[in-house]
Amino acid sequence: MRLLTHNYLQSTVKGTEKGYPLKIEATTIEYEESPFDAEFVRSLIPKIDYSTVLIGIQQISDKLEESNNIQGITIPDLPESIENEDLQEDLLKKLHTVLFDIHVVEGDLVCPDTGRRFNIKKGIPNMILHADEI
Amino acid sequence: MEHHSEISHNRYNVLIEFAHIHLEFQRPELESVLSLHDIAIGRDCIEVPLPSSIPTVENYRPFLILSFDYHYAKEKFNLDDDGYVIQSDMSRFSKIDRTKPTIASVLSRCTLIRSAIELWGAGPSFDSCVEHARQLSSGCAGRITLENCMKLSSSWKITIHTLGTKFNREEQNDMRMKFAFFNLPGKVQMVNPTNEFLLIREVELDPKGTPLSQERDNFLSPPLAVYYGRVLGGIRDWRGNGRLDQFSLKKRSYLGPTSMDAELSLIMTNLGLVRNGSFCFDPFVGTGSILLTCGLRGGYCVGTDIDIRVLRGRSDEENVLSNFKQFRLNRPDLIRSDNALYHRHYRMNKPIYDVIVTDPPYGIRAGARKSGTKEEKIRAIPEDRRHDHIAQTKVYPVSDVMGDLLDVSARTLVMGGRLVYIIPSMRDFDVEKDLPNHECLEIAHVCYQPLQTELGRRVVVMKKVKEYDPSLRESYLSSVWINGPESAEKCANIRERLLEAAKLKPGYEEKAAYRKKRRQITREEKKKQRAKHV
Repeated sequence: MRLLTHNYLQSTVKGTEKGYPLKIEATTIEYEESPFDAEFVRSLIPKIDYSTVLIGIQQISDKLEESNNIQGITIPDLPESIENEDLQEDLLKKLHTVLFDIHVVEGDLVCPDTGRRFNIKKGIPNMILHADEI
Repeated sequence: MEHHSEISHNRYNVLIEFAHIHLEFQRPELESVLSLHDIAIGRDCIEVPLPSSIPTVENYRPFLILSFDYHYAKEKFNLDDDGYVIQSDMSRFSKIDRTKPTIASVLSRCTLIRSAIELWGAGPSFDSCVEHARQLSSGCAGRITLENCMKLSSSWKITIHTLGTKFNREEQNDMRMKFAFFNLPGKVQMVNPTNEFLLIREVELDPKGTPLSQERDNFLSPPLAVYYGRVLGGIRDWRGNGRLDQFSLKKRSYLGPTSMDAELSLIMTNLGLVRNGSFCFDPFVGTGSILLTCGLRGGYCVGTDIDIRVLRGRSDEENVLSNFKQFRLNRPDLIRSDNALYHRHYRMNKPIYDVIVTDPPYGIRAGARKSGTKEEKIRAIPEDRRHDHIAQTKVYPVSDVMGDLLDVSARTLVMGGRLVYIIPSMRDFDVEKDLPNHECLEIAHVCYQPLQTELGRRVVVMKKVKEYDPSLRESYLSSVWINGPESAEKCANIRERLLEAAKLKPGYEEKAAYRKKRRQITREEKKKQRAKHV
């Protein structure tokens, strides 16, 4: 699961007030570099919630520090906001790394409201709701 | 009655030869690929009627002539390099060339095009074609074309393409000699010349693509049309073994019973306008065959499915991800979710997808499921068992599959973005009234592919033309089927109807018994295999 995907996932289990963004509790993280396409990253900016990206990256960093398992992953520094930021290639590259190259392979996504856990296994989050949650 | 050529030598003319397959897809695919380069037939080029020695030809003709204003063509395309150098890498998984592409590199992305030639002469008969070619340099475009050829060509050959009719060597040479007046420099070279000319003798084809019998009373029937021109792209047949895509796709490691055949998924991604940097989504991703093609065309891929077994594949070496890895593509993001509840799983503040391309489940090869239980009373799952509990699913009627697909597409596609899907159709299917609708989506193409006598499938291409209003969701969903449940039934009950149709055919009982026996044998084999590995 990439952070780009995490940006859209939510929990709407019956009775949940605010199930977004989901908290990332990662047990295994992988880094895989991918070719950078400035135009594509630029086109994504209006489509994502930037604050969720920052929160997600924070949760993953915490996990990386805690497990002493840096694995050569350097999480780039991102600005607090990109609203009035000049979208230079440097910033786009950092955003690219954060959105595309970091993969949560094992772990859970946890609802900030109810604590309901959505498991991530082999990189695939399981969002299926039970019959009584719909 | 001869149809005189309106093919002007003041314009740059290209003759396209199609393969005789997927007939209904050919023009839509061509139009889609041209639109990737912002070229529209009618606006940026015109389609010229084919010359014809017969006034009305009923059967399909696998040719099409596009005529460009010369200055437009010169601006838009790299005309100089096209076909003068044998191109071994056709860049079929086209990233759009930001510099000027050759016409061949644009057109070769079409799976259904065999070749394209720079048209030097055409006519309803051999002599009229020669005559037309003689006038090439009288037009401004033709003159430059000829001058270019004089400069760049150092060796050449003329290939004769006669669609089934056989001519002996002497006859072939006679035909070639008729074009000797061009006086091209350099020598004739059969292997790897710098350019190749094609002399095409078109004849009428029957519906299967076989040339109609040409001999009557020992006389050879006259051709339907004759064309002469220079092969673009340096290769005579783009669909031959030189093509990488289809054949490698067939070798992918993870295939399932519902995997899309490679050629159709290539066509679908063309119809969807998938290009480098397209955000692509397949809500019923299954084994990922369509998504893989999106990846091959440079798209960023996301796939969802309700069936975890299909997403995970058979093993670590045989799954959707391993297919992508095999082709050295970035991994797609896969999510286990229910498309019927898309709005519940995904926050949709802004439309995000450029293309949604999918083969929805119809119950023919894979039954459709959605979240929920068929039981009357819904029981809460005890807290301690929640984590491992496998959520139940229930049958997902085809009418809802399609309604949800259109609604999700309308909501999540960017304006102008495309939805491409397959729908099985029996013959009694009214394209006007039986296809699902959505106020925000407009039908761009519908292409029929016959599979059996009774059954075929249609590939439908829709474009988002109107912004989605979430408050109108109920109203959108209730207007999906113009003819109401009747139309949905036509797709929904195809399995039963197929079965009924099959039962009426002779030999059905024996075939069914045979298939049952084979399934038993396969099951026993698998049991033995598993016992060995334990």
